[in-house]
Amino acid sequence: MDDYWRRRYWWLLAIAIGIPLLIAIWAALRFLPNRPVTYVNIEEHFKYGSTGGYAASGFPYWIWKALPVVFKDKLPKNGGAGYETFGMVFEKNADGTLKDLPVGVQKGHNMGIDRVFVNCAVCHHSTVRVGGETHLYLGMPAARFNLGDFEVFLCDLAIDERFNATNIVPEIERQAGSLSLVDKYVVYPIAISLMRDRLLMLRNRFLPMDPASWGPGRVDTFNSAKALFNFPFHDMEKTSPDELRGAADFPSIWNQKQREGMQLHWDGNNCRVDERNKSAAFGTGTTPATIDLDAIKRIEDWLLTKQPDPWPKEYWPIDTVKAARGEVLYKTYCLNCHGTNGKDFSAPCRVPEDIASKRCEQQGKDVPYGDCVGTVKALSAAGDPAPLNTDAYRLNSYTYELAANQGMLYAGEPYRFRHFRKTYGYANMPLDGIWLRAPYLHNGSVPTLRLLLEPSSPKAPAHRPQGFYRGNDNYDPVNVGFVWQVPASDGRRYFAYDTRLTANGNGGHEGPAYGTTLPANDKDALVEYLKTF
Amino acid sequence: MTDRTIKPMPRWLMTTLLALAVVVALGGWFAWYEFFREVPEPVWEAENGHSAEDMRFLYGSIGAERDAGIPYWIMYVLPRVFPDKLPGPGGNPPGAGGYAAFGLAWEAGHELPVGFTTKVIGFKRVAQNCAICHTASFRTKPGENPTYIPTGPDHTFNLEALFRFLVDCAKDPRFNADTLMNEIALSKPKDFSFVDGLIYRYILIPITKQRLMARQSQFAWIYRHTPPKDWPDWGRGRDDAMNLTKYFLTTSPMDDTLGPTDMPSVWNLKKYSSHAGTRMNLAGDSWNARSVIIDSALGLLSKAPPSNHIFLHEIDWLENYLGNYPAPKYPFPIDQAKAAAGKTVFDAQCAMCHWSDRTGTVLKVEEVGTDRERILSWNKDAAIRANNAVKSFGIERKGLVEENPYGYVASFLDGIWLRAPYLHNGSVPSLRDLLKPAAQRPQIFYRGYDVYDPLVAGFVSQQEQAKRLNVPWSDVVRVATPYDVHLRSNGNMGHEFGVNLPETDKDALIEYLKTL
Repeated sequence: MDDYWRRRYWWLLAIAIGIPLLIAIWAALRFLPNRPVTYVNIEEHFKYGSTGGYAASGFPYWIWKALPVVFKDKLPKNGGAGYETFGMVFEKNADGTLKDLPVGVQKGHNMGIDRVFVNCAVCHHSTVRVGGETHLYLGMPAARFNLGDFEVFLCDLAIDERFNATNIVPEIERQAGSLSLVDKYVVYPIAISLMRDRLLMLRNRFLPMDPASWGPGRVDTFNSAKALFNFPFHDMEKTSPDELRGAADFPSIWNQKQREGMQLHWDGNNCRVDERNKSAAFGTGTTPATIDLDAIKRIEDWLLTKQPDPWPKEYWPIDTVKAARGEVLYKTYCLNCHGTNGKDFSAPCRVPEDIASKRCEQQGKDVPYGDCVGTVKALSAAGDPAPLNTDAYRLNSYTYELAANQGMLYAGEPYRFRHFRKTYGYANMPLDGIWLRAPYLHNGSVPTLRLLLEPSSPKAPAHRPQGFYRGNDNYDPVNVGFVWQVPASDGRRYFAYDTRLTANGNGGHEGPAYGTTLPANDKDALVEYLKTF
Repeated sequence: MTDRTIKPMPRWLMTTLLALAVVVALGGWFAWYEFFREVPEPVWEAENGHSAEDMRFLYGSIGAERDAGIPYWIMYVLPRVFPDKLPGPGGNPPGAGGYAAFGLAWEAGHELPVGFTTKVIGFKRVAQNCAICHTASFRTKPGENPTYIPTGPDHTFNLEALFRFLVDCAKDPRFNADTLMNEIALSKPKDFSFVDGLIYRYILIPITKQRLMARQSQFAWIYRHTPPKDWPDWGRGRDDAMNLTKYFLTTSPMDDTLGPTDMPSVWNLKKYSSHAGTRMNLAGDSWNARSVIIDSALGLLSKAPPSNHIFLHEIDWLENYLGNYPAPKYPFPIDQAKAAAGKTVFDAQCAMCHWSDRTGTVLKVEEVGTDRERILSWNKDAAIRANNAVKSFGIERKGLVEENPYGYVASFLDGIWLRAPYLHNGSVPSLRDLLKPAAQRPQIFYRGYDVYDPLVAGFVSQQEQAKRLNVPWSDVVRVATPYDVHLRSNGNMGHEFGVNLPETDKDALIEYLKTL
């Protein structure tokens, strides 16, 4: 009798506790592990490693794979296949096949599935055709990547009636082989539904800034930051439309050590490299809770001293005599604002350390040393004989209200943002690796260095083009910049950039002080010298 | 075979009781830790040109977090979840800019605007201090970041909009745990634990919603400003101080009075104690600075202080800080010769009220001739009730004057340049306009824009000024709130002193006033 009940008791216990426990253990093992992808080689890590963004924002890997197939009709008609149509670059494996993921896409394992999202490299690498071969350069602006089109593609999925398990899961099964029952009927349907929710939110917050107008190589950085705070763009279109268009070129991100203490971003709104990086990391899908600080730190450290790839003079020789003449001109015209040369930014007027460190703390005070490298120069200060006068939209897109709100980011962490400030001009940039940073000016409105030395007025005999094509990776080694005249080549179509559209102006940085009145051969010489940067 | 006699089971019982005691103790500790544990504020240090004392005034707790505090992460995400309820152009929703939309003084690089304090009492809470209404902002030109002056009148802050925002958010169906937690997930720090999430989801969010909604009935009167509009908005830089006292400190029944007035400067308060017969508040409703500080602070606390000792210690500090804080210097050049000439005009025209025994005392409204509504918003009965309420908290102070107000205080003019707009209700945008007859003063203008116009000694409030100073008028309209002198309590009549002076005398007088 006792034994009988004892046996029943154990059975009951096993059923009541054991089975749920086993299921819980299985579920925990299946869904809890969080495994980032890291690479020992730092360049591989930069290209494919995780920043933590896959965990908060990542698409399930198999959905990422299925999207360009199921929604093929929504891809831009730019030539290429799948994600290539956004200007993403697929490297080749040793056997000549294309890699599974493009450069700039991270993969990690979270919530039971592999998840992918973009990382830092997606906006900071590109290709240049040198000597008949395509070279991949890391740290340069992603001149081909059309982030705006990519955003529009994703956001519009959320309102596409085909974005559901019925349409997507069969494609996943086709590519992945058969799915387990749990994956097929639970994991992916839930993932698709969660993803749609998230995309709807992004759509509501991001699309009003018209990302399709950016074109390849550009992003509206600080309206994207406003989207994070859910500033109501639809209403702002009526009340403050001027601040809603601020697309600017992706920057190069090498040589950061020498930039410490400089005013960073095009308008110099932050002096801290670490804050600038954490701010940019939002773009890779991280949130304060999920950011992988160690992974980001590795990249940060690498970028401190990473050098830009030098001008490939074995293919495109530099005329040293001409360059020497250009150097003299550079010293007269450019050095004060842009630094001694491409390696050494310590021009005669670099801001003293103590002022550089204090500058970002100041409130409401005019910033001294406006003409030095790494400092903000006012667009047109009273009494300035050579005002900068470049397009003001990017500057105006960054408002005092936004700067104040950014102080809330990373709240509760020791590295909460403390150094974002509203400025009233654009920062004088060092010119390291300038050959890879075309098109020029903050909004990428001038296709080549040589054209930057011409005036913007179309009435001038030689002038900056009013319209040109962006996204080509064929290079013009004479004028220094990408080929801009052709709408299509190599089976790809390029983006028509119109300088007459809002925020796209190509005026400014011109006049005698900026070298645009020099004789043509002097301009040639100056460009020759800049190739050595 | 064992002996199965029944024994008491002291061990079993003791073990159980002990276990129970441990559970209760742990639960108690958990509840204390998560809801009541007080973490002291950091020690304030000088920063950004502010002294350590300034920092304490701008960002330091006055003890309002316990009863009036809102859980930090709820406060954090409200503007992101409800941008449609933030004040926009004209002070009406929708608006942009998070808490900056309220025109709060917000120093870039700071986590929260001036006047927002945080304290951990179990969980991190956000409340307000005096600086929220008493920090002034100005810019000397449009392409410049604002300079903030602690203790100055916050002419840009739309307090009424903030009151409404909190109530309106709480009333909205989107104020629920799912929506707020989704937004919190985008910003929470790494140490925001699963338990923190549960506490927010099941305790703090529902309770906060309920508490904010409970304010609705006390605030019914500020909704009289919304359509159909029979009252004017306070707009930027004003509050209906005596009605706030009436309905919050004394829970008097709602009457039909209104008296929105300019937020005052609170610098150099010791001037009141060094002159005989002075009264505080615009209509002389309070006996002295200490009483005003106590009453205002109690308003922020919303309930009796948990410890009078700590509370009065804070009041002592504030009284000393505000007593000695100097009025700010005029930031533009001053024509000294002209100012000297202006002193002569001042001595002849203004000194009899503004630099004499009458200064700081109440003048009959018939003598000043300014709008009467503010006086009517307060009365002897309310003063008695309020004094009794404070006394019942066990706090001694000289308190409110127990009589019906009959006039307005003749102002001390220290730092008068930064106290625009002028008159008690802020109905005259600049000193130059104040020297015109009422009929010629601006009838409609914008309040709360912070670019200063030295020509008229006041802020940019009209299109002509904006044009002259290169300020985009669209920007003024976007942030400032319109002021119509024809609306009830907004009258710009009275104080028509010096209006017939020759223009050169007016110029000189204004120049002199900049030196004060």
